[in-house]
This record gives sequence, structure tokens and C-alpha cells, in this order.
Amino acid sequence: MTEKIIRKKKITRHGFSVLFVHWAVAISTFVLIFSGFAQMPLYKRYMLDRVPGLSWVSDYSVTLSIHYWAAALLIFAMVYHIVFHSMRRDFDMVPRRGDIRESVQIIMAVLGWAKEPENDKYLAEQRLAYLFIGFTLLILVVTGIIKVLKNLPYINFSEGFMLWITQFHNLGTILIIIGIVVHLGAFIFRENWPMLPGIFTGKIDMEYAKRRHSIWYDRVFAKKR
Amino acid sequence: MSDFSRREFLKRSIASTVAGGVALTGLGRNAEASGAIPWGTAIDLTRCDGCRTLTQPACVTACRKENRRYFPEPIKEISNYWPQKKTEDWSGKKGLTSRLTPYNWTFVQEVQVEHGGKRHTIAIPRRCMHCDNPPCANLCPFSVLHKMPGGPVLIDHDLCFGGAKCRDVCPWGIPARQAGVGIYLHIAPKVAGGGVMYKCNFCYDRLRSGHAPACAEACPQQAILFGEKEQMRKVAHKRAKEIDGYIYGEKENGGTSTFYVSPVPFEKIDAALIKQKAAQPNPKAPGFPGMAVDIENFTETANGIAWSMVVAPVAGIAAAAGVAYKTMKGGKKDD
Repeated sequence: MTEKIIRKKKITRHGFSVLFVHWAVAISTFVLIFSGFAQMPLYKRYMLDRVPGLSWVSDYSVTLSIHYWAAALLIFAMVYHIVFHSMRRDFDMVPRRGDIRESVQIIMAVLGWAKEPENDKYLAEQRLAYLFIGFTLLILVVTGIIKVLKNLPYINFSEGFMLWITQFHNLGTILIIIGIVVHLGAFIFRENWPMLPGIFTGKIDMEYAKRRHSIWYDRVFAKKR
Repeated sequence: MSDFSRREFLKRSIASTVAGGVALTGLGRNAEASGAIPWGTAIDLTRCDGCRTLTQPACVTACRKENRRYFPEPIKEISNYWPQKKTEDWSGKKGLTSRLTPYNWTFVQEVQVEHGGKRHTIAIPRRCMHCDNPPCANLCPFSVLHKMPGGPVLIDHDLCFGGAKCRDVCPWGIPARQAGVGIYLHIAPKVAGGGVMYKCNFCYDRLRSGHAPACAEACPQQAILFGEKEQMRKVAHKRAKEIDGYIYGEKENGGTSTFYVSPVPFEKIDAALIKQKAAQPNPKAPGFPGMAVDIENFTETANGIAWSMVVAPVAGIAAAAGVAYKTMKGGKKDD
């Protein structure tokens, strides 16, 4: 582990690469959802294109190009993420055995009904959310690439295959929206608020880390419980 | 058409349709990959006269008869496309043959064009061009349009949601929408979906059973020729050379299965059609296509960006490897 203590009160939870990947994925996913919905005649019907400055949202040629560029950014960030963490053997976010049980326990604890377990760098539910969002993005990227290939001249996949690929792409869109809502919904709970600065600055409160992420905190200071 | 008689075309086309039919039935849905023969039509505008002696053009009559079984039967009370205060209901105009509608998949336009010091009357049978790389099929958000083996572009009427994006991305705005019918009625008809889209299906059923499309077979002037696509391209070029004419549909939208041959430039035909459309009671109404020359395929710009998705993973690997190596080698620590 390479976390370092910045000052007495803060500890670095994320470095540049993690922050970059998070925000590249977040921004590109948001743009992909918006431009993806634009691929249906939704914005014209619901007159979003009549809002000053948004006339372009019902122009398929514009929104399709935006969708492609955002997809390229997402692919870049996802590949970067996989290669970076694989090379460093850094798998803190990968779900572990017992994560489902532990995440239920954390939720119960947040509601005041149970004692919270000791946590590592990430909460069990964060690891599960990572798996859900990561897997959904993979479905979207793979089906999206097939859709891109299909648009090229001289490439024509079979009718049934494309029908399924498209439904998976659309289903993936619904799943990723659910994933984002749940991800952001975690911050309804005050207990999770101290984690927020970490995704902007990379640093979180030292005392919070000590109390809630004790396994990680101890590892950073090479202490064993 | 001196040495390419209609009889010859039919002979060739039937032979090739049988071959295509065998490929289709024998090899399943991936017949295209296994070499199903692409079909085409060559439409000779020096021959088409719009069937002036008949009450309506023979191609239109034949098409309507052939495809009657696919025509929509919408519910009686059709809601507007909320929050818009409109809907697209052609069920009260089933007999309309002066434009494309869900009940009329081909029609004949007629324009007067001055060219070479002569006044030409040009009758133009219009319908789906069955593009080589159809934007309608590529960009349908539910993939319910598909380019079939042999080239016909079909709409799955059972799954179409009627958003009409296919019409918006078609350079000619060919597909026609009928509200009050289709799968959207079973989901959330008040807020999503608009009906079902309809257009020429190249008489796919007929092709599969070894017959030429109904319009081609019915044309009394042999103006609509049907056969193997490459053969039709040759016919069109030969005819264009003979009359010192012009071809439309070969390059437009990246190439189509329909080759029009005209004695006058298509720019002039297009200008006349635009003028005609503007003079209609509702000039914005769909179903009256122009003939703009050298139209670019809707997916062209996006396809030009597709390379970025090849570069992105390579760049991602390189950047991540570089940063990871640096952090692991005692450079700037980072996780």
C-alpha cells in the first residue's frame, strides 16, 4: 500500500489515477446516458430541443457523434483502470467472500440497528457496487462496440443477433442508471458524508478513517489488530 | 434496352431468386454471409409514363394488392403524442395514392423539367431504395429494422415502437407512420411510442419464393427491371449511355439497390419536386420524397469517429502502464 499521511488530520485515500478514472467514467457515462436517450425521439417529443441553447439535442447526427466520443473516453478510462490496477496488484475494490452479508450489516448499522463491522479501505457495499457498475459498463461497452461495427458500411449482423445486442444495450442503460442512483443514494446517510471529499481531493479525514476504515487505517500504519 | 429485354431479366431474376431462396432456406438467417445474391432494380424513367391510361399506376395497384395483408388496422380512438397535440393517422385516407402512407408503399411522382432545350415530362415511381448501409436499420433504437440477405430492408411490425427515427434519418423520409397500432399500445401509449412504421419491403416474400417484386412484374412499360443487383447496375449504366442520361441511387446515401435512369439531370428533378412539395396544402407532411443528388449517409460522420474506439484502448493501456510503472518504481506514489 502506498497511502501516505498528508497532515495530521487527513489521509490520502485516492491518487491521481483513481480520481482520473472515476471522473472520466462519471462524465463519459453521464454524456452517454444523455446522448443515448437522444437516440430515441424523446427530446423532440418532449420539447427539450425548444429550450434555448438545446436545439441540437434532437439532431441525431450531433448526438450520435457525441455518443461516439464519450464512448471512446469511457473505453480509455476503463482500459486504463484495468491495466493500472492489474499491474499494481491493487484489488481493494474487488468484492470478497461475505460482502453481501457484511453490506447488510453496514446498512443495519447506519440505521442504528446493529454494530458496524470493521471495514477495509472500501466498505463491502462499495465493493459490490463496483462489481455491479463495472459489469454493467462492460455489457454496455461490448454491445456498444458491436453496434458501432454494425453502422460501418459492409458490416451487417444477423437480425436476431442485433435485436438481442440492442436489448442488452438498452437494459444496460437502465441498470447503469439504477447503479448511479444507488451510488449517489448512499450519501443520503450522514455516516457516509466524510467519504465525499476523497473523490474530489483524494483525501479523507484521518479520524474518520481510523474509526470506520480501521483495517485499512491499521495497514497504512503497519499495525496489526 | 435493346439487348436486355424484360423477358431476359425475368429469366435471370427468377434463376437468381431461386438460388437466393435455396441459400435462405438451406443456410438459415446468415445466408448473406454465405453469399446470398443481392437484388436490385433499374428504373428507366424514359419508359415510365405513370400509366396515364389507367386510373392509377399499375405498380401502385400491384403493390397495394400484394402488401394489403400488412396494412395497419389501428384502434378507433387514437391519442395524441402527448405533450404534442398531434398524431399520425392515415387510416381515414387508405385510398390515397399520391404519396407514401402506411397504406401506400409506392407512388408515382410527375414533374415537368426543361433540359437540352426540350420540355420533359418525367414520371418517377418512388419507394424505399433499399440502401447498402441503411441508416434506418442501423440507427433504429430497438433494432427492429434489418437489412436482410439479398438486400431488402425490412421493418418488424410486431416490435416497432413508431418513434419514426427511421424516417428522420432516411434521406428521402420514406417510412410512414400509423398511430394506434403496435406494441406501444401495450406499454405506455400515452407517453411513449407512436405506432408502427411501414414502407416497401422489396416484396421479400415474393423474392424468397422466386418471384420478382409485384411492382416490377406489373409494370406494363417494363420500366421497373428487377434482377441481380450488379446486373441492374450494368443495365442502368448501359441505358444511361444510350440516352446520354443520368443515374440516381448508385452513390446516394452510400449506395442503394435502386438505380434510376433519367434523360434529365436529377438536380433538375429534385428542384421540381421541392417546388411541387412546397405548393402542397401541408408542405411539411411526410411521404413526398425529393431526389437530392450525392446525399451523404447519415452514419458517415459517426463512422469517421469510430476509429477513436480503436485508439482509446491502446492509449489506455499505454498510459496506465506508464503511470503504474512510474509509481511502482519509486517515482511519484499514486494509487
